Amino acid sequence: MKNETKANMNGWKSFTFFHRMRGEKLFIMMLLVWCIMAEIEVKGQGKEITKKNITFIEYPDFPGKVSTWGSIGYNAKYNTVFIGVTNHHDRVGFYEYNPALKKMKLKGFINDLGYLRPYQWQAKIHSKIVFGSDGMTYFTTDGGESREEYLMDHPAGYVGGFFMKWNPSTNTMTNLGMAMPYESLKDIDIDMETNLLYAVSYPQAHFLVFDPAKNDLRDLGRLGSSHVPRVIFTDWWGNCYYVDWRQRLVKYEKDKGILVFAKNSLPAFEGTPGGKIITGITAFAKDHENKIIYLVTYGAKVIAFHPQKEGIGPVEDLGGVADTGDQPEWTPYVPNLNFGNNGKLYYLVGGHGNYVKENATILMELNPKTHSRRIIYEFPSNELGEATGSDIKDKDGNLYFAGRGELIPAPGQASSEYFEGKPNSQPIMVKFNPTKEVQK
Amino acid sequence: MKKHTLLLFVLFLLNLYSESLRAQYTFFSPKENFAIEVSLPNSDLKRLPIYRNSISSLIIIGDHIIGGTTANEGMTPFVFVASLKQRQVVEIKDLNEIIPGQLAIQTGFCRGESNALFAGTLANKKTDGSNGDGHLFQVDIGQDGTINISDLGNILPGEGILSLTLDAEKKTLYGVSCPSGTFFKYVIDTKKISTYKNIAATGEQIKTLKEYDLGPENYLSRSLIQAEGFIFGSIPINSLFYFDTKKDSFQVMKDIPEVWGRRTLGQVESWTRSTNGKIYGGNAGDGQLFEIDPITKKIKNLGKPIGMNRLRGLSFGRDGKLYGIAGGQPGYAHLFSYDDQDGFTDLGNPEFTMIAPGIEQGILWRGFQLGTITSSEDGKYIVMGEDESLSQLLIFAPDDKYEQRIGK
Repeated sequence: MKNETKANMNGWKSFTFFHRMRGEKLFIMMLLVWCIMAEIEVKGQGKEITKKNITFIEYPDFPGKVSTWGSIGYNAKYNTVFIGVTNHHDRVGFYEYNPALKKMKLKGFINDLGYLRPYQWQAKIHSKIVFGSDGMTYFTTDGGESREEYLMDHPAGYVGGFFMKWNPSTNTMTNLGMAMPYESLKDIDIDMETNLLYAVSYPQAHFLVFDPAKNDLRDLGRLGSSHVPRVIFTDWWGNCYYVDWRQRLVKYEKDKGILVFAKNSLPAFEGTPGGKIITGITAFAKDHENKIIYLVTYGAKVIAFHPQKEGIGPVEDLGGVADTGDQPEWTPYVPNLNFGNNGKLYYLVGGHGNYVKENATILMELNPKTHSRRIIYEFPSNELGEATGSDIKDKDGNLYFAGRGELIPAPGQASSEYFEGKPNSQPIMVKFNPTKEVQK
Repeated sequence: MKKHTLLLFVLFLLNLYSESLRAQYTFFSPKENFAIEVSLPNSDLKRLPIYRNSISSLIIIGDHIIGGTTANEGMTPFVFVASLKQRQVVEIKDLNEIIPGQLAIQTGFCRGESNALFAGTLANKKTDGSNGDGHLFQVDIGQDGTINISDLGNILPGEGILSLTLDAEKKTLYGVSCPSGTFFKYVIDTKKISTYKNIAATGEQIKTLKEYDLGPENYLSRSLIQAEGFIFGSIPINSLFYFDTKKDSFQVMKDIPEVWGRRTLGQVESWTRSTNGKIYGGNAGDGQLFEIDPITKKIKNLGKPIGMNRLRGLSFGRDGKLYGIAGGQPGYAHLFSYDDQDGFTDLGNPEFTMIAPGIEQGILWRGFQLGTITSSEDGKYIVMGEDESLSQLLIFAPDDKYEQRIGK
């Protein structure tokens, strides 16, 4: 304490000394510079974000729709956003949104498009929707509900998740086959150079590498604990990343065809429960210019990851996702992340009965350079109760989230698509631009 | 309007159905349960590397859990020691340092004089593509868990050892080689080896088994047990046999309890003996548990603990119950218990708490694929080893009453 006071006093002495030496003119000049700098900072923030920066886009022609999960992706070749919308039971609508035409269109249902029999029912696309450099579109399917597990010989038991490919130019779906019997596929990513597909299975958390050109599926084994981390992601060279049960990054080095494990776990708040650690990463977004991949963990940390072609690169702790007040810092749930053209990260906090503000989902802005963050908008949870999606940005800098409103707030419920036996969720796509107004 | 009402009603019913299933299972949660982290790549802790750690052999001596692993093809296995008290791995040994070119330790460990352990290996293929030579080896564990391995040599060129048992009185090991299915006898003191072709599959049998795409590891006896001077095991197709150690003779017994139409799958993959002298066996083909009175040779089919094939391990707890592992790929293995009074209890996938340096707060580890099971000498602990790319140990102390944890 004494040292701190002394240092401050020294600082003051220096200032007064400087002031005396240079006089009032210099003081006024410095004040002017400070004012200019402050003005620049204000301008940098742009106008205050209002409802006009955000719009909700509905999914037409699917009366039984209930939710969306991580099932969203942006196709750079066609400048379109694809989304999988589900009734959370056995019907998944495949949608395409064209920002230029401002039109959301149902392309069909995946069981019809992918020639699935009724016993091959799929309850969700839980994976991202990813794209090859040729614009070919890939996703995986998910059992998504309780009858998936342990009821393999049930009359309506789950057979397993499929890889699917969509050709946007011909509007045709190709069923690329099932991965593992009885296992869902929770996420997918792609090496855009070779179209090698990566996937992770549920509930056994197997990491899979699939080459559709050769119909070659490699099962690299179980990497997780009792809860399956939901997100995999790729770097600039097409290597793929997952986490193990210690929340250490696990990299598939595609040139060597091997898994490489990080020595250390990703940053976590002290005291983060094991159940949060084993669930790993919930979303990511890429800064292509600076070669940084931003990550959000289930323990509510934002991390800047600097991938390397060989080995695993350094990570930087950017702090928590939001101020949590009386709640522990690891509690907020953030299954989404986007990186704006303004160099800032945007994410929606809330979902699965877990909110920082009661019955409200908050849109956050985080400046990764300064680590400063702020709430820029609040939604009542019946409008927007949860949003998913990683790194979805169109050519005009619009950011997208796959959102859903909880019709009746269901605090504490792990899954709120139904409440007291009734459908309680309305899926919508969130379109957001931090620097300009958006239109549907 | 009617359509919407109907849709809502259907969704309501589906949701009721879904919710009831969501809460349909509970996790088996005895008061004392824990997992030991055995496998973890790129760690300074004593841990096994990926793809070389499937726990296929287990035994407990005092505080030490001794494990033997199976590796992926072209890789080599380990022997490891974990401490029940410390709840962590205390020593590991790469078998390749002592006996190069081995693939798997699948025989389990036979405990001889002065706690000497004996086990056999299956080998990797040689560089020319021919069958490798499996070895018999001895393991001695020091008080601090140090592992000393002695190579006892190859039994038959081009053959591995699939199963092994010990007659402690005779100080003699009995085993089945793979792929030929040759029965052998190894006298520990003299190192004398005798081989017998009596239980090997005939040409006609092999032809039938190939029709069902079955190889030697699918039809040879994966487990042997000694009781009352007899060595019990299975032979193709779907039969039990015993070897009389006094007469050096074989006798084919009745069929393994089977499901009709699945005889070719019949194979004993686990045995254990109760304190009353009866032996209990598990049929890999259909997952039946059966008991044999070793004196009368009477076989009794006790039924199937779960609706899957495989019965990979059996061991008695101090509560007098028989604990076993049923099922496996492409489904999930289940822990079950059996006794004469209560019959079978399906305890599901065990999910226990793992605490280790770096995860001091504890994480839950769920055993989907379990390969082997054993008991501590006093029966206090039941220990299970996983059959995974990164395999761990799951341990519990049988209680009188279990609290069930609702699955999440």
